[in-house]
Amino acid sequence: MKPVSTLLAGAAFAAASLGVAAPASAATICFAFQDLETEFWVAGHTAITRTLEEAGHTVIERNANEDANRQLEQVRDCIAQGVDGVIIIPQDGESAVTIVNEAQDNDVPIAVFNRPPSDLSKGIVVVADNASIASQAVDFLAQEAIANREGDGKLTPMIIVGDLGDPNAVGRKDGFYAALENYPDDFNTPIEVASEWDAATALANLEAAVTANPEIDLLFTSSDFLFPTIRSVFEPRGMWARQGEEGHVVMGGLDGDATACQLLKEGYIDATGVQDLYFEAEAALNAILAAIEAGEAQPNEVIEDPGFALTSANLAEREMDMWGCVLLSEGFLDQ
Amino acid sequence: MNDGGLSAAHSARETPVPSMRQRAMRLFLSDFFVLYLSLAYFLVLMPFLPTLSNPANIANILSNMWPLLVVAVGQTFVLTIAGIDLSQGSVVGFTSVVGAMLLATTASPDVLSNAPIWGTIITENGGPLAGVPGGVAIAILVMVAAGALIGAANGIAIAHFQMPPFMVTLVTMIVISALAIYLTQSENIRNLPESYIQLGKGDIVSVYFGEQDESRIPRRQIHSFVTYPMLIAVTVAICAHVLLNRTVFGRQVFAIGINRKAAKISGVPVKRVIVLVFTISAICATVGAILYSTRLEAGRPTLGDGNFLLDVIGATVIGGTSLFGGKGKIIWTVFGVFFFVLLSNTLNLMNLSSFHIDMVKGTVIVAAALLDVLRTRLIQGDAL
Amino acid sequence: MTELLSFEGLRKDYFGVPAVRDLTLGIRKGEVVGVIGENGAGKSTLMNMIGGVVAPSAGEMRWLGALYHPRSPSDATARGVAFIHQELNLFTNLTIAENIFVDDFPSRFGLIDRTAMRQRTADLLRQLALDVATETDVEKLTPGERQLVEIAKALHRDAELIIFDEPTTSLTPRETAKLFETIERLKADGKTILYISHILGDVKRLCDSVVVLRDGQLVAQEKAEGFDVPDMITAMIGRALGGLYPERSAAPSSDILFSAKGLCQPGILEDVSFDIHAGEILGLFGLMGSGRSEMARIVFGLDPLEQGELTLQGNPLSGGVRARIASGVAFVTEDRRAEGLLMDAPTVDNLSLVSIEEFGRTSLAFLDQARLEQSTEHLKTEMVIKAGDIRTQPVRALSGGNQQKVVIGKWLMRQPDLFILDEPTRGVDVGAKFEIYAIADRLAAAGSGVLFISSELEELTGMCDRIMVMNRGEVTGRFDRSDFSDRDILAMAFGKKPETNGVAA
Repeated sequence: MKPVSTLLAGAAFAAASLGVAAPASAATICFAFQDLETEFWVAGHTAITRTLEEAGHTVIERNANEDANRQLEQVRDCIAQGVDGVIIIPQDGESAVTIVNEAQDNDVPIAVFNRPPSDLSKGIVVVADNASIASQAVDFLAQEAIANREGDGKLTPMIIVGDLGDPNAVGRKDGFYAALENYPDDFNTPIEVASEWDAATALANLEAAVTANPEIDLLFTSSDFLFPTIRSVFEPRGMWARQGEEGHVVMGGLDGDATACQLLKEGYIDATGVQDLYFEAEAALNAILAAIEAGEAQPNEVIEDPGFALTSANLAEREMDMWGCVLLSEGFLDQ
Repeated sequence: MNDGGLSAAHSARETPVPSMRQRAMRLFLSDFFVLYLSLAYFLVLMPFLPTLSNPANIANILSNMWPLLVVAVGQTFVLTIAGIDLSQGSVVGFTSVVGAMLLATTASPDVLSNAPIWGTIITENGGPLAGVPGGVAIAILVMVAAGALIGAANGIAIAHFQMPPFMVTLVTMIVISALAIYLTQSENIRNLPESYIQLGKGDIVSVYFGEQDESRIPRRQIHSFVTYPMLIAVTVAICAHVLLNRTVFGRQVFAIGINRKAAKISGVPVKRVIVLVFTISAICATVGAILYSTRLEAGRPTLGDGNFLLDVIGATVIGGTSLFGGKGKIIWTVFGVFFFVLLSNTLNLMNLSSFHIDMVKGTVIVAAALLDVLRTRLIQGDAL
Repeated sequence: MTELLSFEGLRKDYFGVPAVRDLTLGIRKGEVVGVIGENGAGKSTLMNMIGGVVAPSAGEMRWLGALYHPRSPSDATARGVAFIHQELNLFTNLTIAENIFVDDFPSRFGLIDRTAMRQRTADLLRQLALDVATETDVEKLTPGERQLVEIAKALHRDAELIIFDEPTTSLTPRETAKLFETIERLKADGKTILYISHILGDVKRLCDSVVVLRDGQLVAQEKAEGFDVPDMITAMIGRALGGLYPERSAAPSSDILFSAKGLCQPGILEDVSFDIHAGEILGLFGLMGSGRSEMARIVFGLDPLEQGELTLQGNPLSGGVRARIASGVAFVTEDRRAEGLLMDAPTVDNLSLVSIEEFGRTSLAFLDQARLEQSTEHLKTEMVIKAGDIRTQPVRALSGGNQQKVVIGKWLMRQPDLFILDEPTRGVDVGAKFEIYAIADRLAAAGSGVLFISSELEELTGMCDRIMVMNRGEVTGRFDRSDFSDRDILAMAFGKKPETNGVAA
């Protein structure tokens, strides 16, 4: 969050936009995001604003507080203010399409960051490939599990799936299965636990699943935010242990939040797939600045983010590429 | 002649020329006070926020006003009978889904196949009214009927079972928004027909300002001023004004708001009027749903969530309609909505965060409520 | 004797309309001064100026010769003004002592000094001959005792001028007598008393001199001696009052207009039957809880009736309020503020409320605004309702009598057959009372039946053709005009068996 702006700040900004000399390549970018309630969005937001400001651009921030309608009004206000380009993190895929159209109708280039519009054909769209990220993480988990195998029976994998109405959740589940298909002789049919992206639902279903199948060798959660939930189920059963300790279950997730980073460092989990937020931010930015430079009012482009898996093996080199670890190093969890 | 001169002199002494203070009082108590306040606010901020008065921004302010006005008009009726309607937001969400599921021209199974309406109402070929001639009109009728039904249910619970409006409409809000989310499994329904979308976005009079080169890419700068939402909202407001001020029904609404017992003893059909008032409120919310969902080009179960009620009730109260009932005017609500939208717009232009914007909005609403108390006291002091 | 308080050219306007004007007057120290006037004569405004609630628009007030311009009620209190209001301002959940010391608890070593409080309170109570413990909770006291506590509070603050505003309305006769003794004692101690009341007999008995206000002006300041009640009334209303009650202009007909047979509602009514003839005023007398107002509500369809028959002009009455109104029943309830008026709405809206549906073709069609204003203006003139702009001024601003005329007026637009008047003259001044009686007479003369409910026996014997008495939901007596006897009627109201058999209706 920017510190409290005041009327004076508004006036100062107004003066600046009235043509007080600015760097030749400097642009005014409206950054409209949907909320800052989860740490992921805090990090995404920081990544964008910091990059923009460091490059000498002016950023106008708009927080829609999870209200699509408000986001539309905010983007319109931005356009009226005369910004050069718009970057949004939309509330959902549908409103993203409307807002992209609104901006393009007004000849303002727009990029959609992180959450894809339901129509990818318009605007600059940066999307994470959930399936690819998940499969990178699960591949590492599978190798770990196989390496730790005692005896030679098949291993039992488990996946906590998200709300399957959400394309992200579907992609992550697909990636999980795709990775395990490479080791057909080593794994039983995975056990699926539904979470509906809800901690309480996940808790109830996981309790039931673990009671029914106490011997689990690999657990993949479709989102890192469920790790605390998993811990509360596993700990009483002696299944919450560090790597190399008795009872450790090979475990991984996706998102790469600060909690996951900490757990990875402590050795409780083995890997997490992560969107390369910094790559995405930079890609969105570069594309929008290029469009502005080229005078292109309706740039259309899909940019894919392959993501990567942060694992116990590559933690040392890639730690700072994961947004959760950056937040962690800034003391996010101490707040 | 002589007599005339004398009495004129006499009356001149009885009603002295109004002092500055009295003039200020008159302004403060005037119906147009909030409008004057808005214009003053606008003028004060203009030098600091040059964008404020540019045509694009004014077009934005207008376009943000219309849907909110329609919903606030409904709330005005309810507040006037000393009620409150918390269910308006959920009616907006629900009816937007109803309209969209009937009208969608196509739908994606990836998104909606888990929804209970999939296969029964909506399929890959869209809703039952997709491509049907006059389908938009039929869909709107169905939406209004659905809204009216919800409003009437609120009214019946309140009038006939003597339940407090706060409780009843709170429950309706929870139930109806849950129903809307259940029906679509929290998905939005896209692909609405163009003629429907026109209702929320269509221009009638646009003004072309030529190329402008403030931003680095030149813009076309065509701004909509007279739009379908404007026509719809203005029509709704005028009808509501007539209904509240020029009809038997309107008089009865005020009578109930001022003193429900006395109204009943004087033969006012109290229950019927209450049911009608809540029905009107829900119908206004439905019209609001048409405007909001068409400008976002989707039926959204979560439309009208969150702070929407703050905007509706806040704008109405800022206009001067009293939360204690018996005092309300549509023209006040028009000005209240204008002020509220202007406020949001200027706070945006000042680059405040949404948290700060909500804090300021909340403060302004409290100030408006205080102002109402003060005005009431002044008027009663006048009557002592 | 010196003047404690004097006014010189005092004036107060509310938005250009004078409520008090050209008032020049002196109140002598140690006197009991009665202040009388019709509602709206300016008494409250004058008291508000003395009490620092409102500031005068012009003129000055002097306190013992020095300029006196209190800026707030606490200024006035500090100077020595105390009010004993109709509605008492005590904390019922606190004790007597706590109430007396509520704004300056004595302290010792930072703690409340209860002993000092108790002693001082006991002294004050002794002075007022109130024999209760200082630690009694106020809620346990009778209205009369509470009033004495208010007076004790005034004495504790060394009040010089004690203003009583209608102090006897909620008191029993014994308590009233005791209050008068107390006032005598205060006077003997050199206190100055302003005594405001509608009960002119009390004013005559108690006061040394009487101040009469009318339309915001002083019209008389007389020694009480030789200034009798009829003189007071003449001064108050500006003309001689022929009698307290108008002559009845027509005799009732023999046709039965309304009849109630065997009304039963458990716990409320027990086999009540009566008839009202066309052109008749039937009085209904009873104490609180006798079932008189409850019966009126049942006849009007507001409350349920378990058994019994109601007929109006031969047609059975049924349904709710709207059906009764359509059949021709009108009801002026006893509580004007809570049930009779839209206090914040103007006179036009109040007068047209009952018949509003006649001014639009349907309830959603345009109102015939011109006809509506014409009808209400006509009614206002006919009923001599004194109001400013009847389209804008809220009825809250009218005096009690005019408010009551509005309540009655709203029913007149429909010309009802049966008129139920429940305590129509409560809280109304003498002049307006007479006008209300005259309206009742006009209604009867036009052939309507009037059921006149009152707890003032005198007005019933003055106005009614017959009187029916109720006690605990039963009719205990019926009297023809020739048999009216205050003693018998009261006895039956208390439930005694009739000594002489009143002629049955």
